Amino acid sequence: MESNNIDGDAGEKHNINGDCLPSPKSQSFDLNHTKNIDDISTPSELKFDQEFNFEDPEITEKRKEIEKCLDNPETVFLEQWQIFAKSKGGLLSDDYRKIIWPLLVGVTNEEMTEPPSLDELSTHGEYNQVVLDVNRSLKRFPPGIPYEQRVALQDQLTVLILRVIIKYPHLKYYQGYHDVAITLLLVCGARASFPLLCRLSHGPRAPLAPFMQATMRPTQHLLNYMLPALRRLRPDVADCLHQAQVGTMFALPWYLTWFGHSLNQYADVVRLYDYFLCAPPLFPVYVTAALVACRAREVLCCEPDMAMLHCLLSRLPDDLPFEDILVTAKQLYDENDPTDLEAEVEEYERKEEETRRQDEERMRRRQAAVRARRHRQPAAGTGAGTGGWPRALLSRRALLATATVLLGVYVYWRPDLLFAR
Amino acid sequence: MSETSSSQIPGLIQKKVFKIIVLGDSGVGKTCLTYRFCEGQFLDKSEATIGVDFRERSVRIGNEDIKLQLWDTAGQERFRKSMVQHYYRNVHAVVIVYDVTNPETFNSIKSWMQEVESHGLTNYPRVLVGNKCDCGTPETRMATYVAQRTADKYGMPLFETSALLDSECDNVESIFMTLAHKLYSKQPLRVVSVAGDQSYGVVTLPRHKGHPPAKADGCLCS
Repeated sequence: MESNNIDGDAGEKHNINGDCLPSPKSQSFDLNHTKNIDDISTPSELKFDQEFNFEDPEITEKRKEIEKCLDNPETVFLEQWQIFAKSKGGLLSDDYRKIIWPLLVGVTNEEMTEPPSLDELSTHGEYNQVVLDVNRSLKRFPPGIPYEQRVALQDQLTVLILRVIIKYPHLKYYQGYHDVAITLLLVCGARASFPLLCRLSHGPRAPLAPFMQATMRPTQHLLNYMLPALRRLRPDVADCLHQAQVGTMFALPWYLTWFGHSLNQYADVVRLYDYFLCAPPLFPVYVTAALVACRAREVLCCEPDMAMLHCLLSRLPDDLPFEDILVTAKQLYDENDPTDLEAEVEEYERKEEETRRQDEERMRRRQAAVRARRHRQPAAGTGAGTGGWPRALLSRRALLATATVLLGVYVYWRPDLLFAR
Repeated sequence: MSETSSSQIPGLIQKKVFKIIVLGDSGVGKTCLTYRFCEGQFLDKSEATIGVDFRERSVRIGNEDIKLQLWDTAGQERFRKSMVQHYYRNVHAVVIVYDVTNPETFNSIKSWMQEVESHGLTNYPRVLVGNKCDCGTPETRMATYVAQRTADKYGMPLFETSALLDSECDNVESIFMTLAHKLYSKQPLRVVSVAGDQSYGVVTLPRHKGHPPAKADGCLCS
């Protein structure tokens, strides 16, 4: 883990992310961590570590407990890993995460296989779209990462995504999937992230599966749960959103990428992933509601205008209290699980559908009016005073009359042509 | 959305607000283009847009400040159908972008036009923008006359520009200013001819050819 020295950071703090962790026992896990991933442990993670200079004693205690469990992981129940992942601070460091994340979703060592080469996959229909998005994911890589490493990681990312959609051809790639994939890749490496991403994408309770259907309708439906969830927390804020007709689009990237696309702090992203990996599929939507409620003051001060509110909400501040937000979301979920909110979601969707139909109707009428107007005014200039004359007849008559007059004029000026001889 | 912002404080001058939707295939540079116009610089680490992004800028037309709201949409087709729909509501103008080095994105203009039509925006001010004209070579770039034919067919002015080059900054500016003037005067969009170009429909702005652009060799857009 020479990587951690990118920042020149050294010393005891490295216990968390540094050389010490892969203890003799944890090596038995065979993490298959590719070298270049080891090489680039993220600077933002280092920033995360620095905070432990003044580490909360609670966290220090938790760290000890996690390390104890990692000494004999095969004797630890899944519930214990889940408690670590959900409780304050989550899994604390990427070195723990790369072992525990696969355990949380039940990935075994046998499933971690060597990825194929990129060339073998480049004929896939989605190849171009995936490469396009991967090439634009620079922001997600640790700042200062050497160019060659970044390119190698981007290739791994493309391979990872294509492997999943090749394995499950009915799953469709969506823009944002690459944000989830890169988070897994950075933490777990190329071999472990493939079965991990498969688990998240395929299966009846796979959280990303609804996003990968033929259309985005299922996603939109699930995201709509945010509104009644928010109403339970802050009816005034929910009213404000409703009044501005801001919809749910501002939260779409949050949900589709588990906030990976929208948060600037890497540490916040992986913290949320700790939780989401062992939470119900709809839990991120509850987090969305809790997050909006947490920003109530800003929302209530904002002009109740769709654009203004969309703009305010879609840009996330860097200092969101995610531990509190997660606690709120958990409580909200416990008190109102999705079946409790279903009726309200259906009602909302019915109204939306009604508005959409009215919009369409209005548009049809407008188009018909435009067509009718055009029909009535055949051409500029001749349009006035045409009365009921059929257009073709009128223009033929006009042409004939003009031709006659012109001939008359011509003959008047050059009579010699006709009569001289 | 109303055309005036909703602040009703007496004495406060209300600004006219115009909503412009920016469409086009994935990776043609919609985000960079709107960023260039609203922030005055090139967006270095541009990412895929998920859903809809929003930017705005005030401009002065005559003696009045008006606000242009640019709705930057995701290019991937799956976002169009159910997701972006909501954002076509009360749109005042449309910008369709293609990548001059990628003929596929040009061929998609047809389906984008169908999309525009299906939302009843055919008679609204529209412009066609060929982006990334700093990239590729004259041989690999879409020929202007081909693009012009398409633009003429749909009755919209064509702009060729680059969101990357600072020297093209004026050009990006003029795309949105053309729309702003058009929206402001509420006249049917008519084509302006600039810089002595006589051909119908092309807005040719001085390219500052003499002044070598700083990064002309490498393309950062893709």
